[in-house]
Amino acid sequence: MAHGSGGKETSDLIASIFAKHFNNPILAKMEDSAVIPGCARIAMTTDSFVVKPVFFPGGDIGKIAVCGTVNDLAMSGSTPKYLTCGFILEEGAEFETLERIVSSMAKAAKEANVIIVGGDTKVIEGSGGIYINTAGVGFMDESGFAVSSSLCAEGDAVILSGTLGDHHATILSARMNIENEIKSDCAPLHVMASALAKSGLAIKSMRDVTRGGLATVLHEFAVASKACIQIDEKEIPVNPQVLGLTGILGLDPLYMANEGKMVTVVAKEDAKKALALMRESPYGEKAAIIGSVVSGDQGTLLLHTTTGGTRTLTELYGEGLPRIC
Amino acid sequence: MPGKVISVGGTKAIVDFSGNRMEAQAGLVKVKPGDSVLVHAGCILQVLAQEEADSLSDLMAELQNI
Amino acid sequence: MTDYRTFLGEYDGKPMRIMEVCGTHTAAISHCGIPSLLSPKIELISGPGCPVCVTVTEYIDRLVALSLESNTVVATFGDMIRVPGTSKSLQDARADGAKFRMVYSPLDLIKLAREETDKTFVFAAVGFETTIAVYASLLDELIAQGIRNVKLLTSLKTMPLVIDWVCRSKSGIDGFLAPGHVSVITGSDLFAPIAKEHTIPFAVAGFEGEQILVALYALVKLINAHEGRVMNMYPSVVTAEGNKTAQKLIAKYFESSDAAWRGMGVIPRSGMKLRAEYEAYDAGSENLYSDRGHNAQCRCAKVITGAEKPSACPLFGSVCTPQTPQGACMVSSEGSCHSYFANRRR
Repeated sequence: MAHGSGGKETSDLIASIFAKHFNNPILAKMEDSAVIPGCARIAMTTDSFVVKPVFFPGGDIGKIAVCGTVNDLAMSGSTPKYLTCGFILEEGAEFETLERIVSSMAKAAKEANVIIVGGDTKVIEGSGGIYINTAGVGFMDESGFAVSSSLCAEGDAVILSGTLGDHHATILSARMNIENEIKSDCAPLHVMASALAKSGLAIKSMRDVTRGGLATVLHEFAVASKACIQIDEKEIPVNPQVLGLTGILGLDPLYMANEGKMVTVVAKEDAKKALALMRESPYGEKAAIIGSVVSGDQGTLLLHTTTGGTRTLTELYGEGLPRIC
Repeated sequence: MPGKVISVGGTKAIVDFSGNRMEAQAGLVKVKPGDSVLVHAGCILQVLAQEEADSLSDLMAELQNI
Repeated sequence: MTDYRTFLGEYDGKPMRIMEVCGTHTAAISHCGIPSLLSPKIELISGPGCPVCVTVTEYIDRLVALSLESNTVVATFGDMIRVPGTSKSLQDARADGAKFRMVYSPLDLIKLAREETDKTFVFAAVGFETTIAVYASLLDELIAQGIRNVKLLTSLKTMPLVIDWVCRSKSGIDGFLAPGHVSVITGSDLFAPIAKEHTIPFAVAGFEGEQILVALYALVKLINAHEGRVMNMYPSVVTAEGNKTAQKLIAKYFESSDAAWRGMGVIPRSGMKLRAEYEAYDAGSENLYSDRGHNAQCRCAKVITGAEKPSACPLFGSVCTPQTPQGACMVSSEGSCHSYFANRRR
């Protein structure tokens, strides 16, 4: 790291940053593991974050690290409760940078109502890179609410919570020095997901739209449900600046990553109510019904284009573009 | 997709594509602020002509009679 | 206005094959769902207009070799990175220490070259007339700014002769969707002699769904009327004579040369190379003609000349996918095979 030689002084400095920002009674105990109240069934997940640059309009690597894991937990209908975070820091990383990231994580954790109960740091050779892993636990309730990508049935509506591609566009703009007002949409969706889960409506599946984009998620639904899903290009919300960027760079918003959007498949008769719930939830102002499950070839995702034609969409192949999360 | 020229400086111009501002090379065609331009791989290739709508309808009328 | 949509959707005249000669058109046609709007009697064939797809393996091998040289960094447009040469692609060679960067514009090299004066930057200069104009612009800037550490490895191709080759090859093409952006530079008149000689019509098209439909309408009409001429259906941007300034600039730095086209062999005078006096900016582009197929069963050659559809290739969709491309047509997002696969076109 920029200061210490990697010895005790460095560990103490790092520990002080965490203690200062993640301050909570469990962490304060500084035990080898956190012992916390649980629940009959828990949801668990983990994810690692390696995005460069680490700071970008609308967020930073820390904020995504918290929101990404919170959202994965929320999509199963669980209430996100606890997170751990592991850092791998390359020599040359600045303490100020780390503190800024950790402070941002604390803020995101507060908004998402989760506490960070454990963590780890390793310092390795390198040139200043910062990588974060978060693992998370959420509580499942016993209401019987269960979602699955295999439950989509003919007639069901497909609802998207907002504009596509914002996060991906932000990272690319930063890398390519394109000036615009695009911001990452990095945000916790626990309130939206919880509203849907507790609504009593017939929610079939929920997924957040991250790497691979909407098309990849919906294609998975179509395959798992042995269904045919059709979406309408003109109903899909895309920020005009993001659309402008896709035009310049030859990208497709359907395959671009978000960090604060979800898609849900809902029984036809409950679609309007589900849409209203999403629009009233934080980050759901632009939610829209974008398509439905139709009769057709199993495992197929179709797009009705603005030109009026139909195009078959597959999942994203290959690496696509440089890492964006 | 066409962009709009915001400013010109020597052989370079700033072009706006729905709010995305990028620098583009402006050596292949004369441009001025306000022009609608076609950009390819960082280079302005052409200024869009305003009268295109008319010539296209003329062509369509011609085709109808074929 | 004419109801060209109904016309195209309900067309029941003689069957026809229309070729788009521009990779960007191939991608736009798939993207807009155009095939679903056409009567089954109108068949769209993708041609050799994807610069990455027509690049021979020896060019890639040379590019990989350069990327491994000390103090040399290769810069490319995105797609080139994954095209396989005789054995490796640039991406594969990263593990051996290949140094390369993706850029949006060749002009981005100016900033890089000035910042890192100890390195030589070699741009993988492939492309048709549109991009050749951009390379000419780059050379203007390099010379004006006295930059010496940028070179081009060229594999530049021009349109008319390859289209002529297709016309003579019995692929049975009835009409051509002429490349929109090439025409901006060259002018739509470029295609008039070929149209006349073979009595095959050309329609210059833009890249939006509506613009493509309108051009297809023109072609179906002209084909049925046996008219061997060019109609410019993209008049907002394309003129008959083209961009004279760009043409002059290209002629200043480049001259016509033989060019090797994947699957078609060498077509004399169908390409361009740097003029001798600008040799200092060349990274060894001469005589890169050999094209030994990465996979002997790859049918890219037949696909780009319109002789076969991607789905006719035995490797398509099984051995050859965007994740494991066997030939250039599957690597490039503008390649026919990639486009057909990603959009499940048949």
